[in-house]
This record gives sequence, C-alpha cells and structure tokens, in this order.
Amino acid sequence: MIQTIIINGMSFSLPLFIMAIGGIYSERSGVTNLALEGLQGFGAFVGALAGYIAGMHFGADSRVPQAVALLFAILGGMAYSLLHALLCIHFRADMVISGVVVNILAMALTTFLTKSINRTVFGAASNKIDLGVLPRITVPGLSKIPVIGAFFTNVYPFEAVIIVIAVFVWYLLYRTSFGLHLRAAGDNPAALDAAGVDVSRIRYLAVMMSGALSGLAGICFAYSISAKFSGDIYVGYGYLSIAALIFGGWKIMPTLGACMIFGFARSAGYQIVQKLGLPSSYSDLVMILPYVLTLLLLVFLAKNSQAPKALGEAYDKSKR
Amino acid sequence: MKKRNETVLVAVIAVILGLLAGAVMMLILKKNPLSAYYNLLQGSGLAPKGKYAGGKSMFSDFSSYIDFLTPMLFAALAVAVALKAGLFNIGISGQMLTGAFLATVLVGYGNLPAVLAKPLVILIAAAGGGVVGIIIGFLKSRFNISEVVSSIMLNYIASYIISFFINTRYVDPVSRQSKEIGQASRLTLHQVLVGGFRYDFALGFILAIIAILIVRFIFDRTVLGYELKAVGANREAARYAGIRVNRSILLSMGLSGLLGGLAGATYFLGYTASIQPKVLPSTGFDAIAVCLVGGSSPVGIFFASFFLEIIEKGSTYMSSQAGLEAEIASVIMGLILLTSACSSFILAKVSRRRVEGRGSK
Repeated sequence: MIQTIIINGMSFSLPLFIMAIGGIYSERSGVTNLALEGLQGFGAFVGALAGYIAGMHFGADSRVPQAVALLFAILGGMAYSLLHALLCIHFRADMVISGVVVNILAMALTTFLTKSINRTVFGAASNKIDLGVLPRITVPGLSKIPVIGAFFTNVYPFEAVIIVIAVFVWYLLYRTSFGLHLRAAGDNPAALDAAGVDVSRIRYLAVMMSGALSGLAGICFAYSISAKFSGDIYVGYGYLSIAALIFGGWKIMPTLGACMIFGFARSAGYQIVQKLGLPSSYSDLVMILPYVLTLLLLVFLAKNSQAPKALGEAYDKSKR
Repeated sequence: MKKRNETVLVAVIAVILGLLAGAVMMLILKKNPLSAYYNLLQGSGLAPKGKYAGGKSMFSDFSSYIDFLTPMLFAALAVAVALKAGLFNIGISGQMLTGAFLATVLVGYGNLPAVLAKPLVILIAAAGGGVVGIIIGFLKSRFNISEVVSSIMLNYIASYIISFFINTRYVDPVSRQSKEIGQASRLTLHQVLVGGFRYDFALGFILAIIAILIVRFIFDRTVLGYELKAVGANREAARYAGIRVNRSILLSMGLSGLLGGLAGATYFLGYTASIQPKVLPSTGFDAIAVCLVGGSSPVGIFFASFFLEIIEKGSTYMSSQAGLEAEIASVIMGLILLTSACSSFILAKVSRRRVEGRGSK
C-alpha cells in the first residue's frame, strides 16, 4: 500500500514541482505569475496535438511521438508565456489580472481549437485529443530496496526527464551569473539596471522559462492522470504549484517538499477510498485534499513569507 | 466627468479590438464574421430571426436574454465591490455554487408557497455566498493569504463537495444533474404564456437593478464606501488615516460574496433549475471581463453586461447557423478581457496623444 502511495504520489508531485520551479523563476525575477495554470494547459494542448500528428506517422511501439509531444509542449508553453510577459513588462498591466486573463484565454482558446481542429482537420466531432498513458519503467536492482525502492518502481519516463531538468535549472538559478541577475531583478531591479543589465530582458527570459517548464508539466499530466488533452486539464494544478512555491519560500528545494506533500496526500486519499471499498463518488471528497491542505499550509506560512522584494511591480526606469 | 469619458473610450476600444481579433479568427476558418456577429444579435432577441418555432418570437428570445443577463449583473458587481477595496475576487463561481446549492437543498426541494420560498431562496443564497466571501477576507486579513489563491482553492473545494452531495443524494438519473427544483422557489417565471407567446420573466432582474443602485449609493455617498476605496487605493495610507483596514477587507469580501451568492441564485434557481456537478459556472470568470470593461462602476457594469452577454447568449444560435463552435464566444470574451487588462496602457497612449495634439496647436 505504501508502495502504491509513493508511486502515484511521485508521478503527481514531480510535474507539479517542475511547474513550481517555473513559477519561482518568474516570481524571483519580479513578475507575479498566476498564469501557470494557463501555461501548462496551452503547452499540453500544443504538445498533445504535435504528439497526435506524429503518432499518425510512426508505429504504435514508437516512442518518437511522445518525445515530440514533450518537446512541443515546452515550446508551446514558452510561446504562450510571451503573452503574459508582454502584458506585464511592456503594457504594464496589473500582473495579477494579467495572469488570470491569460488563464481564461488559454482555457477558451484550447477548448475551441481542439473542437475546431478535430472537426475540420480530423473530421471527427470531439472535444479531446486522446493520448493514452505512457508505459511505466521499473529500474532493475534499485527497485528491490525496501520502501525506497518504490521511487524506482513503475515510474513514468517523464519523471526522469523532470529530475534532470530540475537539476539543470537549479544550477542555472543559484550558480550562474544569469541566475544572479534574475534574482536581482526581483529584489532590486534598480541596482541591476545600474550594473548595466537590461531588467526587461531578464524578466522576459524568466517568464519564458516558466512557460517552458509549465508546458512540460502540462503534457506530463496529459500523458498520465488524464490520458488525453481536453478542457479537463484545467483543474487548478497551476494554482496548487503556486501555493507550493509560496510554501517553499520561493526556494527550489523546500518547494519540492511541498509538492511531495500534495502528491502523497492525494494518492493516500485514493488508497483509503479504495481500501474502505467506498463507491467512486467518494473520490470527489479525496480530490479536495490537496486544496484543503494548501489552505492549511498557507495559514501557517503566509504571514512570514519571504517574497521577492520587487514582486509584482513593473520596473520603471524613470523612478530610479 | 473627463475621467468617465476616458473609461468609456477605453472600454469601447477594448471591445472593438476583441471583436476584430475574433473576426480575424473567423476569417481564418473561412467564415463570414459579419453574419456570425449578426447571428449573435438574433440569438439574444435583439434582431429578428428568419423563422421562429411555435410560441416563440423575438420578444420571447429577448425575455430569455434578460433572464440570462441577470446573474452576470450580480457577478460583475461582486467583482467590482472587491476590486474597489483592492481585492481580486476570482472565487465568484464557488460562491455562486455554494449559495445556490444551499438554497436548492433547503428551499428548492421543499414545498413552501411561492411568497415564502422565493424570498428565502434569495436570503439563503446571499448568506451562503457571503460566508464564503468572509472566509476569503478573513484568510487575507488575518493570515495575509493571497485572496486569489484562497478563492481558487475554495472554488474547487466547493465544486467537489457539492458534486459529492449531488451525486450521492440529489442526482437526476436522466440528466446527470441535480433534480429540478419546484417552480414555487424558482426566481424566473419560466415559459409563461402571454398572448400566444411564451416568455421568461426574470424576477431577479429587478433585484439586480436595485443592487446596482445600492452599490452605487454605498460607493458614492457613504463612509463605508469611502473607506473601502481608500483601502483599495493605498492600504498603508488608509491604516495611517485611522481606517480599520482588516474590517474593510472583511466587509468588502463579505459583500462581494453575498452578491456572488445572489448571482448563483438567479443562475441555478432562475435561469436553470438544477446544478451540474463538477462544473464551475463560467459566469464567475466572465464577470471579471464585464467588470473591467465597465470600468468597475455599477452603471458601467450594467451597460458592459448588456453588450458582452450578447456574445455568450447568442453563441448557441450562431453555432447552429454559421457552423462555428460555440466556444468561440469564450475566445472573444478572453480577447476583450486581454485588451481591457491593458487599459492603463491604452489610457496613457490616449492622454499622451491629447497632450501632444494640444501642444501642436
């Protein structure tokens, strides 16, 4: 039972985590990013479409379509995030409103496009793009270790991809001059500007990074939990990851902890419903666990939050 | 006066840009945007259709449009009340569901006479929505939790809990929605036959007009409204001036939630008579667009709702006539929302042009 909780928990926590890292990038650079929800959905849409089209040209056993989907999800999320960047940095829109607007538009646009493309291109009236669930892998040897072995049993391939990327972006944020500039853009943009670095450019790149990572998260959800792309992808995971990063104090490692708590709470809840033999409608009650947990965690942590100092403020050169 | 003109100008620019972008999308899909937009008017009873089914006319379509519009008036007012105090209430969908579900279960399934049932529905829904609003306000003022995050969390919590109760107790096996409420507690007199045609009389519409006037009065003429606006403009300055900021946050979120609950009552116990499980009503999100386009003033909201809801209401008819997916309505709404989010930028451009124009003379 514990093994199942760990396996299912991790396959939910890791996409949440990579999306939260995207949020950290954007917010550490000073751009409030509530758009994660829309970014992951839009990325998943682009990825799912690319994967579906690629699937028509490769055999059923081929892994190429899935790789294509992952790549295009990253690109799609990145491209769509430019909208949020443009609104926040160039048009100086209220960042909170911009994030919500970007989400609403993503939801409308992707469901509309899914239906339209299905009807006009594929000739079928459908509101989803079927993807199926990725095959799972068990690492030989490591999976035999008691308890910890569960982390290497029945894992989705994307979990490995996420860990590799997470290590890379951790290094980029904390150990390179680009990362230093990014963090400075969120804490003291005027100082960064004085040092001759273009604050807007840094912020654009940071938001694009959040789009790329959210797109990756979105396609992972599409290939695991939902097994398809449809409007159902917008169930607030983007907001969950924002809660996780607030909980993690805008730092990458503590955020991983928060994401794992969400993931394990969710999978444990499902296990309990199953073990007690409750009817499936009771899973609705389990579904609220991560949301309730988010609120409870925030109650204890939001008061002394260490948000970046210039978070949510458009940088105005003339005010220096 | 000048400020109001600018707000109207920005709203008009935002709507036109949104409609233009929508037209471009339709052209890409090889559809005629003009006839599609005319279909929207026809679907809302603002232009005559080619033919009508028995008992239907342009005016019965229009009465159904007013019925559809009523929840939006409340929802957009709810956004405005919170926004005045600098809070962003994106939890209106959850407040709608909570208020409407409580009213449905407590009154809708009972057999009280209409004189008692209808006012009770209004009171219960308002209280239910108000409590959710106050929770969000409390989390904000006491624990400094972003109202955006907490209201989204509460949206999903409300949606799942209500869907659990509907699926286990109140489900209609055919429609897969909650069982229909009794006509006595419904806030819309549904399909009433007058002179050979059937009309929907939205009693909530009168209430919505009253709500608009009350909110306008509170903001323009009372100390409470002044304090809320002060908190919204600058929280620290308001605190320094002796305004109890936490109390203002609680009050504005409570009032906003109350209006959200009324939106829910007029939607789920008026326009429809049942609740679909696991679906957050899009009215709660579209209300943000309506409020922004209406310059978050109560009267502006009335006109903004009236124009923008044509897009949503007419979309079904447009879809059947033009062969376009009805979801394009939400896309156009989203585009209008996008342009109105840039309103301060548009405003800056407009006023700069004005200043330059004056300089050249």
